[in-house]
Amino acid sequence: MKEIPVSKRNLIVAVILAVVLALGILVIQNWPLRAEQGSAPSTSEDSLVSAAAVSAIEKVFQVDYQEGKEAWLKRICEVSTPAGCQLLSAGADSMWKKYVDAKSVVTAAAQAVEKVADNGSEQVLRMIITLSSPLPGSNKTQDTAYVVLMRTDSGWKFDRFLMEPEINAILARQKITSTPAKEGKK
Amino acid sequence: MKRFFLILVVLILLIPSDVHAQGTDPWSEVFQPDGSLNPDLIDLGVTNDHPDWMSINLPFGQSIDLDANYHRFQTPSGNIVVLPSASTLFFMAMNPQASGLTSSYGSLENGYGSLISFLGLAAGDNLDWNRIQAEHPEYTSPDQFWGAVLNGNQDVWTYFSGWGFITNLLQMTWNDGALRSLYLLYLNGTQNCASIPGGCSGIVTPPPPPRECPDPSVTMQQPVLTIQKTAPNNPLVVGQDTENRRGADIQARVTIPPVIFTWHEPIYEKRNICRAAGTGETPNCNTGSGSSINDGVSDTQMVFKECRTHVEHLPDAVASLQATATLDAASQDWITGQLGQSHYEAYIHQPNFALIPGLGSWTGGCDGGGTCTATGQALRVPFADPGTFNLRLDVVTTGTRFRGIPITQPRRVGIDGSLQVYVTLPALVP
Repeated sequence: MKEIPVSKRNLIVAVILAVVLALGILVIQNWPLRAEQGSAPSTSEDSLVSAAAVSAIEKVFQVDYQEGKEAWLKRICEVSTPAGCQLLSAGADSMWKKYVDAKSVVTAAAQAVEKVADNGSEQVLRMIITLSSPLPGSNKTQDTAYVVLMRTDSGWKFDRFLMEPEINAILARQKITSTPAKEGKK
Repeated sequence: MKRFFLILVVLILLIPSDVHAQGTDPWSEVFQPDGSLNPDLIDLGVTNDHPDWMSINLPFGQSIDLDANYHRFQTPSGNIVVLPSASTLFFMAMNPQASGLTSSYGSLENGYGSLISFLGLAAGDNLDWNRIQAEHPEYTSPDQFWGAVLNGNQDVWTYFSGWGFITNLLQMTWNDGALRSLYLLYLNGTQNCASIPGGCSGIVTPPPPPRECPDPSVTMQQPVLTIQKTAPNNPLVVGQDTENRRGADIQARVTIPPVIFTWHEPIYEKRNICRAAGTGETPNCNTGSGSSINDGVSDTQMVFKECRTHVEHLPDAVASLQATATLDAASQDWITGQLGQSHYEAYIHQPNFALIPGLGSWTGGCDGGGTCTATGQALRVPFADPGTFNLRLDVVTTGTRFRGIPITQPRRVGIDGSLQVYVTLPALVP
C-alpha cells in the first residue's frame, strides 16, 4: 500500500476549503427560495409589521353576525390607523348586511407572505388568508390580500387594502423585475 | 400643515376664472361677471351615490362601497353644475371615463388646470417622480404627467410610492364636507342623466316655456326631520322599569314644504283684422297696403296680450320612511368593559333595532297647501342595553309633477338623533 504524506498545514487548508464550499452550497440553495417566499421577516421591524398585518386581517375576516357591526368594527379599529378605521366604517354597511342575512360565523387565519413595498413609513404586504368557511358572495376559503401598514406613534397599524389598479401595478412591476430570475432557472 | 395647504388651494381654486363669466359660454349663467355664483341657480343640495369606481374590492368577493358625494346646482337653462367632494374628485380623476369627468363641458379647457393643481397637492408627494422621469422623459413637469393621466394616456397607479394619502384624503373629506375644489358643468340636464354625476335625482325638469313669457322657476325648501324619544322621560332597560317591559317610544316626523313652481301663461285676445283676401274670397275691407279699393277680408286673430303668472304649491310626498336605532360603540365598550367587571356576565342584548318599518309603522299625507308630512311611531321598543342609542331617520320623497310633467325628481334626506337608556345598579354603602 502506497502511503501519501499530507502535511498538517495542507490538511487544515483542505478542511477550511471543504467548510467554505459546503456553506457556499447551502447559501446558494437557500437564497432564491427565501427571496421567492419572502415569508421570514428580514428585520425585527418587519416582524412587527407582519404581526400587525396578521392581527388586523384576522380581525377583519373574523365575522360573527350576532356580535353586531359596531363590535366587529371596534376590534378592527383597535389595530388600524384612524383613517383606515373610518374608511372601513364608512363602507361596511352593505358588507355587514350580507353577513347578517347569511348568518355568517367565520374565523380567519392570516400569514404575511411577502413584503412587496416599503417606503420607510408605509409597507405593503402580500397576505394569504384562510377562512373556516366561505363568506357570502364567494365559495373560497383561501385568498390573497395586499394590505397597507403605516408607522404611527403607537406602532405599525393597518391602513387599508390595496385597490385593484394598485395591485395590478405592483404585480406588473414584480413581473418585470422577476423575469430574469425565472429565465436563469431554466 | 398639508391639510391647511389643501384647504387653501381649494379656496383659491373655487374663485372662478374670468373665462367662466364671459360671453355666451354656458358658464356665463353659472357665474356673474364679478365671479360670484348666479343667484338664479337652483341649489339641488348634496347627493350621495355608490358608483362602482368608488368601490374597493377585498378578498373573498367582499367590497367596501364608498359614497361619492356631490353638491349640485341647476342653471336656468337646465344645465347641471357639480361640485364633487375632495375624495370623490380624486377618484373621478383616477377614473375619468367611468366617473363622467371627461363628459363635463369644457373640462379640458377650464377644468383640468385646477384639477391638476388639486391632484398635485393631494397626491403629488406620493408620486415616484424620479421613476416617471426615467421611464417617461417626455414629461418634463408633474403637471404634464397629471394631464396625461386625466386624458387616459397614462396609468398613475404604477408610479405611486406612498399609499396612506388616500385614506387621509378620505378622512379629510368626511371631516370637512365643504372641502370641494372644482366646478364641473354638464349640459342638457335631464336629457343627459347618464352622464351627470349623481344622475337625475332631485333635478328640476321644467316644461318647455312659452316664447312670449319668462321661463318657469322652481323654489324648494329643505324638509324638516325629527327623530326622538317621546316617552318615558328616563327610559330604563326593559326588566328594570316599573311597568312590565315598558321600553321606550320613538317618534319620527318629517315635514316637507311644498315645491313652489311659478310659471307664466301667455294670454291671447281676439282682435278684428283685415287680412289679404284669398282666392275665391270677396274683399270687404282695406288692408292698408296702399290699395284704394278693398283688398282684404275681415277676420279675427289671436294676439298676445300679457303673461299671467301662476304659482303652484306642488306636494312632494313621502314615498318611504325608515328609522333605526343602534347602540353606540362607547356604550358597548362600557357594558362589556366597566359594567362587565362589576357585574359578572354583563353582555350586549340587542344593539340594533329596525324601528320603522319593523317595530312600528308610518302614515303620511299632504294638505291643500302642498305641505306633506309623515309620522312614524315605534312604541314600547324593548331596549335591553343601557347607554346611548344613535337614532337615524331616512326619507325618500316622490318628487313633484305638474299636469303630468315631472317638475322635481325624488329627494333623499335624513337626520340623526339619540336616545339615552338608563340602568339601575345596586351599590354597597359602607
